[in-house]
Amino acid sequence: MSERTNAAATADAQTVAQASAQGTVRDSAQAHGLAQAAQVGEPGQLPCNFDATRTFQWHHKTVVAGVEWKNPVGTASGTFNFDAVRWFYDVSQMGAVTTKGVSPVPWEGNPVPRTAETPAGSVNSVGLQNPGIDDYLVNDLPRIKATGATVITNVAGHSDDDYAQVVTKLADHESDMLEINVSCPNVSADGLSTGTDPVALKRLIKRLRPLTDKPMIVKLTPNVTDIRPIAEACIEGGADALSMINTFVGMRFDIRTGKPILANITGGVSGPCVHPMALAFVYKTRQAFPEIPIIGIGGISTGEDALEFLYAGANAVEVGSAALADPVAPLRIATELDALLDKRPELAQALEEGRTW
Amino acid sequence: MSEFTPTYVPSRRPARVVECQELTDGVVRLALRDSYIARHAKPAQFVNLYTKNAQRLSPRPFGVCEVDGDVFTLMFAVVGKGTEEFRHLRPGDTVDVLGPLGHGFNLREDADYLLVGGGLGVPPLIRAAQELSGHEGSTSTVLFGYRNVHFADAYASRYATQLQSIDESEGNVITLLDRWASQHGVAADADGALRPAAQGRRTVILTCGPLGMMKAVSAWAREHGLTVQASLEARMGCGFGTCVVCTVHTTRGILKTCVDGPVFDTAQLEGWEAAR
Repeated sequence: MSERTNAAATADAQTVAQASAQGTVRDSAQAHGLAQAAQVGEPGQLPCNFDATRTFQWHHKTVVAGVEWKNPVGTASGTFNFDAVRWFYDVSQMGAVTTKGVSPVPWEGNPVPRTAETPAGSVNSVGLQNPGIDDYLVNDLPRIKATGATVITNVAGHSDDDYAQVVTKLADHESDMLEINVSCPNVSADGLSTGTDPVALKRLIKRLRPLTDKPMIVKLTPNVTDIRPIAEACIEGGADALSMINTFVGMRFDIRTGKPILANITGGVSGPCVHPMALAFVYKTRQAFPEIPIIGIGGISTGEDALEFLYAGANAVEVGSAALADPVAPLRIATELDALLDKRPELAQALEEGRTW
Repeated sequence: MSEFTPTYVPSRRPARVVECQELTDGVVRLALRDSYIARHAKPAQFVNLYTKNAQRLSPRPFGVCEVDGDVFTLMFAVVGKGTEEFRHLRPGDTVDVLGPLGHGFNLREDADYLLVGGGLGVPPLIRAAQELSGHEGSTSTVLFGYRNVHFADAYASRYATQLQSIDESEGNVITLLDRWASQHGVAADADGALRPAAQGRRTVILTCGPLGMMKAVSAWAREHGLTVQASLEARMGCGFGTCVVCTVHTTRGILKTCVDGPVFDTAQLEGWEAAR
């Protein structure tokens, strides 16, 4: 990221301001609190290093559990909010977008402070605040689908019944895939989750599987000593794909007060600092289970970072924290990876056919 | 047939440093060139700055202080490693920015605005004074409280109709508000809205500063029948509405400080009922 910063990108902001002064104002952008939108025309007009507004042509798609993605890069759950980012780029250009965890009823989430910076990452404890499945189906999903995006709906719950209720409601709606979040460290005592218990996990997935025809991804936690029995439980329960990793349990202290920074005491660590560990989780799982589709997640901030996941055996990746430091980062990473795959025809071919490296 | 052209706002980008000066010990005024921000930043809107250190990825949000052509300024205290890095920026350097972000003060009403700021809460109020200096039907009275050095008076006085400031040796912004009230013949516990100006304009308070100060201002305002727009500070993970870490409990539900605020009517904020 610092290289990007240093690159002398001085593309003149003037062009943009002039363009917007000439007229094109998007009322909704103002309603959102953003300054009036700039008219976008030719590439290079925006004062960014990466032009998120040009027309994209993807050369390398991937297939995850039978679902075609335009490119192998998606957004990770919890770091994608349609209303927050649609002013910055066309979200339908992503391989897929994963929406924030949705529960049977609205959840208030955890008290603030909810975030603390940590070297090359952050510790967060949002607690899956969300407006509930009914609101999501009316106010969120249809608008995101209307852009043409491939949508993965992340499903959250406190109990098997919670998950079943959400999956049942999603069955008749237009999500392309479901991601069962059994791995959030911030919604249960001591940061434990269903995702650490193979028996409970297999029971849950077995129960959910018949409720819908949609491909079902299970998102796994890294807070386990061995990921393989967990992955196996999911596969035996009928999971169509696995995504990994969710966040590591962590915390920070305020050394002036001697107290934890987060109101929830602990949170989930994410960012570039988790990238090597995430790669190891994907690699180990791929070695043990050659067939199961895997979405690699963890600390991706460049196309190169994403490519490493593909070499570790992932079919696709999702970008999380990087999207908080730059709203268009997922799209930038997708373009970088597309260029890297141009030079790796064998890998690109495998992905296109639903296989992996 | 006209083709629909989607429009987008610019994302994160580098801005060139025009000037970086230390106003007093640990208080920095930074001028950056970014015409998009300079031309669009409304009072109490903020911008994210990002450090060049790959270890520190979180945004540092700052309220825009002044705008002038293609240049905007920020004013901040050095409180940690991020702001320490920004303190050493020199003209010609670049720093990544994103913005302007958030919803600013509502200044549409012709009114007598009291701009009550404390410490490093003053920049959005200076921007408000700058904006109000172009409104014929409104006045701005700046009331600033400092710990000791009155570092922002010179900037606010360029725009304000009146300015009074105070430091801890003499009192705080409530002292200034009490003085203002007595000068305008307004007694505490007056019922109903004040009409100090002959024109019959309302008095509206804008405030930004430490939480305790803003709550005290809000309590004072309620006793005097005035409404308050407060610009809140929050620990943010993104600044543009994605991460949901900067939440605030309001009568309208749990909202995000970054995109639903940072300005809120204090009557809508839960936990602000406590008297000063």
